[in-house]
Amino acid sequence: MQNLKLEATKYTPEINLDPSGTISLVGKSYPENTFEFYAPMMEWLEEYFNGNAADTTVVNMEIIYFNSSSSKLFFDFFDLLDENASENKIEINWIYDEENESAEEAGEDFIEDFEDLNIKLVQK
Amino acid sequence: MELHENKLIAEIEKLKLDFIKTTEKLIKDVKRQDKIMTRSDKRQQQEYDELQSKFAEVEALQKEIEDTQKEVVFTMGAIGESRSKETGNHVKRVAEYTYLLAKYSGLPEKECEMLKQASPMHDIGKVAIPDAVLNKPGRFDEDERRIMDTHAQLGFDMLQSSSRPLLKMAATVAYEHHEKWNGTGYPNKLAGEDIHIYGRITALADVFDALGSARVYKPAWDDERIFKMFKEERGEHFDPNLIDIFFDKLDEFLLIRDSMKDV
Repeated sequence: MQNLKLEATKYTPEINLDPSGTISLVGKSYPENTFEFYAPMMEWLEEYFNGNAADTTVVNMEIIYFNSSSSKLFFDFFDLLDENASENKIEINWIYDEENESAEEAGEDFIEDFEDLNIKLVQK
Repeated sequence: MELHENKLIAEIEKLKLDFIKTTEKLIKDVKRQDKIMTRSDKRQQQEYDELQSKFAEVEALQKEIEDTQKEVVFTMGAIGESRSKETGNHVKRVAEYTYLLAKYSGLPEKECEMLKQASPMHDIGKVAIPDAVLNKPGRFDEDERRIMDTHAQLGFDMLQSSSRPLLKMAATVAYEHHEKWNGTGYPNKLAGEDIHIYGRITALADVFDALGSARVYKPAWDDERIFKMFKEERGEHFDPNLIDIFFDKLDEFLLIRDSMKDV
């Protein structure tokens, strides 16, 4: 499986998907067409969890700002992780800056929504 | 028949299960959607509050910068004034006159406001003129006059390196406020519209105020004498258009003079 790397833009985060088991999203997320933007990532993940996953998958999310459609997408993303969590070891780090209260709260919300996922809040 | 019936029921039972599953998923999705909206609204509110307070901060800072700039510029004007034989409210009146002239020349409001702030610095170059020349009682000899006249160039040199629009404007004012419409002024003997409008405006404002004020070396000219001289110098020392504006709006100029008298 190939790496998938997308550079950050003004409206989209840097995305780094590595089949050796690291998935990272860093930056802001308010694309014009959110689902179109994230489609390659979601496709990659489907393929990854379809027999290509590493022993442990570490997800690092450091999203400093996101719009509501990105929020919806992150739900879908966590759903996908949730579906694969029983057969795979998945660790999720929600990374936020000390001063970014809304990012911290968003992380707390996701933890509440996905009780079965192993999401850790990590202050930078 | 019974068998057939049972099969139908089984199918319906299966449909029912599917339906329940689908509706449950739909309900979950709708709930999730509501949650996302609620959270987004909350976040938006927080962010907007934050933005507003940041904007207020930026505005306050902007005002602070502008006030500081005005004060610095005015202090520089006062320093220039302290080194010249002008006294009292001279630079303040010059500021007001330049504003009027700029306005009636049709310059945009922002530029008029800037000129009002920049014109008081027209004599800043005098800080570099030696005391012996500056404070000499009586008339200057030729050498002394030449030294005095360098204050235009000196003022320009002090201000021109600035990248601030206001100081750039002040540099132009300092440089060209002794140029004359007919090309006999200094330092560059510029003529007509080659002299920047800021220079032409400040020249008229400065001379009008200087003539009307008493000095240790001369009494104040009466208005009749000033007006006669202005008419003679129309198109000579001064931009004819500005002289026309001056006489056209004379009341407003005299109002400023009366309201800002030297005490």
